[in-house]
Amino acid sequence: MAHLNIVLAGAAGQGVQSAAQILGKTLQRLGYHVYTTQDYQSRVRGGHNYMRIRFSDRPLSAAVKPIDYLLALNEESLDLHLPQLTADGLALCMVEDQGDTEDARLRALSEDIGPAAAKGAKFVGVKLLSMLMTAIGFSPEVLKESVKLQFGKRLKAEVLQANLDAIEAVARSMSAADIHALPFAPAQTAEHLFVTGNECIALGMIAAGIGVYAGYPMTPSTSILNFLAGAGASAGIAVEQVEDEIAALNLAVGAAYAGARAAAGSSGAGMCLMSEAIGLAGITETPVVIVDAQRSGPAVGMATRTEQSDLLFMCHASQGEFARAVLAPALHEDGFYLAAAAFNLADRWQTPVILMDDMAYADAIRTVNEFDLAQVTIDRGAIAPEPNDVTVLRRFDLTESGVSPRAFPVLSKWLVAVDSHEHDEVGHLTDNIENRNRQHAKRLRKLAGLAAEMPGPEIVGDADGTLLLCWGSTAGPLLEGAQRLRDQGHKVGVAIFRYLYPMNVEKIAAALSPAKRLLTVEGNELGQLGRLLRMETGLTVDGHIAKTDGRIFTVDDIVELVEPRLGGER
Amino acid sequence: MRSPNDYDHFAPEWCPGCGNFDILVALKQALYDLKIESNELILVTGIGQASKIGFTIKCNLFDGLHGRALPAALGVRLANHEAKVVSISGDGCFFAEGGNHFLHTMRRNADITVLAGVNRVFGLTKGQAAPTSARDYKTKIHVDGTGAEPLNVCRLALVAGATFIARGFSGEQTQLTELIKQAIAHRGAAVIDIKSPCVSFNKINTYAWFKQRVQPLGDDHNVTDWNAAMQAAEETEERISTGVIYRVERPVFGDHLRALQNGPIARRTADFTPERVRPFFAQFK
Repeated sequence: MAHLNIVLAGAAGQGVQSAAQILGKTLQRLGYHVYTTQDYQSRVRGGHNYMRIRFSDRPLSAAVKPIDYLLALNEESLDLHLPQLTADGLALCMVEDQGDTEDARLRALSEDIGPAAAKGAKFVGVKLLSMLMTAIGFSPEVLKESVKLQFGKRLKAEVLQANLDAIEAVARSMSAADIHALPFAPAQTAEHLFVTGNECIALGMIAAGIGVYAGYPMTPSTSILNFLAGAGASAGIAVEQVEDEIAALNLAVGAAYAGARAAAGSSGAGMCLMSEAIGLAGITETPVVIVDAQRSGPAVGMATRTEQSDLLFMCHASQGEFARAVLAPALHEDGFYLAAAAFNLADRWQTPVILMDDMAYADAIRTVNEFDLAQVTIDRGAIAPEPNDVTVLRRFDLTESGVSPRAFPVLSKWLVAVDSHEHDEVGHLTDNIENRNRQHAKRLRKLAGLAAEMPGPEIVGDADGTLLLCWGSTAGPLLEGAQRLRDQGHKVGVAIFRYLYPMNVEKIAAALSPAKRLLTVEGNELGQLGRLLRMETGLTVDGHIAKTDGRIFTVDDIVELVEPRLGGER
Repeated sequence: MRSPNDYDHFAPEWCPGCGNFDILVALKQALYDLKIESNELILVTGIGQASKIGFTIKCNLFDGLHGRALPAALGVRLANHEAKVVSISGDGCFFAEGGNHFLHTMRRNADITVLAGVNRVFGLTKGQAAPTSARDYKTKIHVDGTGAEPLNVCRLALVAGATFIARGFSGEQTQLTELIKQAIAHRGAAVIDIKSPCVSFNKINTYAWFKQRVQPLGDDHNVTDWNAAMQAAEETEERISTGVIYRVERPVFGDHLRALQNGPIARRTADFTPERVRPFFAQFK
């Protein structure tokens, strides 16, 4: 695929993120498809951070390893990333960061270039960006315009002017031999949003009518809390940073009982604390959406590293048996539409619905088409018609589907009682044998109904060769990796599972049956999707490809890991 | 409601002589006096004998997890800040399992009435020590006593930021009813530490034991003075002061949220169409 891959690297606090943000937004405005990933440590200063900014004339959903342009904000960044620089790539840095690095592909900029007002660490990012934009054939006006748009209001006039003068001076200093027009034109196809995975989920929640959200800061789930809190005042969303994740989900369940669409979010360790309340939502049949933004575990694990190892946990968290659904967005757009779908499933089946993403997805910034609101519907499920007089609701009335019409306390004349104990039709506790059997069976009937409407996996590419089974962020790199393998003559397809639990056995069997070989590719060592498939459908996979070092799957990782497993077949 | 008994729902199942019977009578009388209709009230309870008061009152009920009544109650209030929310449970639920939530609910001054039945023992699980048990209180587990100071519920509430704090005794019906009425009428976090004997498992802190030690606060107590309240909240194994200990007005949790200024969220759900998200797209362009 025609693309350029740029790496911006430096220590925490050097401005890697803001430089990447300017670059990404600039490329977006020029009409390119952009895919950006972040690699950072759990520290505020120092260490090593880098961002990959990849752009193309076609949609991108994955990162690649070979670097076309390396923008190094310190010497360490040169040492770490020069080995991935392509033969005709360029590395850009300031003279003082060059150290003893000698490389024909290195261009070191003197501090003397540009106005005196633009000296020092704060201007390194913009100067390297100017080198880059000039090298790929853009006039300095493009970057100047971007800086004005993004920082015009935030910077003092003289600081802004120093930035603009520096861009101009650096651009003029570039040697003609280093300037190459891009081999591809902008796409100009659609109005793009440049969003993170977590922002897609948060936007989907707003579209779905969320009213209450609770969480406790934990990477990588915090950005959902941040976004919804910022949107809350104008959209009417009460967002609370609670004392712990136990409170978060109990709060959301209470809010849902009272009539709001409610959600709680955290990462794996927080999900451990939420587990009891997942069961509370199960037995009280309260619709609630729970976001698990996975990271490396167990316990604190690696705080800023990705993993996909919560799948079996989320399908089984909390004691006892009850209905739930587990969904996972694969591509950025999915986050928006699945978040909206999650609330409908929760309301219609009166169950907890868990939406799982992972750090690789949560933090990746991508251009997507503006979301189509016509595809979002709001279905609150079965609501009991309002009675004439104050009446006790048979909240847990026995029905064929297992779903009983509900009502919202205080907003209606129904008296609504729900109980964390086993209870009868009016929500009153009892351990009567017949009642237990009736209510337990009623709640579990919902699992069959849910499974019946769960879509099977999406198959992309060859269905009848080696099928690579995935969920979550692994889908993006797999789709491109599989295409590369097909280009090399391999018969390879990808099966993307977005609806993970409960499983629709018939649809899954039909989708997977043409394949000669099934391989799961996941960010976990134990092959959790394969285990879940065997548990739920009896299907067995032929192998598992794992990556649990906490770093994202790149397209190159996929090709490298999958190719040897294809048995030389083409 | 024509009489307090119109709130009757399921028959209570406590041991004969349990203090919870008296709390129930006082609560029904308070609800009746305040003219609160069944469907206007949401009781949020936890797990324990005191929380079972929830089953006996005809109203809306969210009977949640042990220790977790208060975060659920806060969720109810965020969804509908016009609903009357009363949370009832015991000292194990509010102060052992739920201690962290109690602290933060008080700190927020959430508009929730907290009726804490304090019998200084775990009744439901048959006789273990509660956070309020005396240091020398012996149980099958605490064979050498608890080794810990009993928690002073009112002082904890004071330090954490509650704006209405009172102490009552299930054996003082008239006073307790009045305290519950004031607590429910109060706007903000209102806590009543209700001394209530467990006739089956606490053979030390009996009805007579409490009766001999409760002492109403004098009229000279200044309920708006935090330091005076801290002093008045003193409770020893010899003397337990009762009555309103502290009462002030402070902003209630939710008053600060612009999201709640156009009415309860649960009432506004029909306005929350998918188009609501469109204004947020611009920042990503």
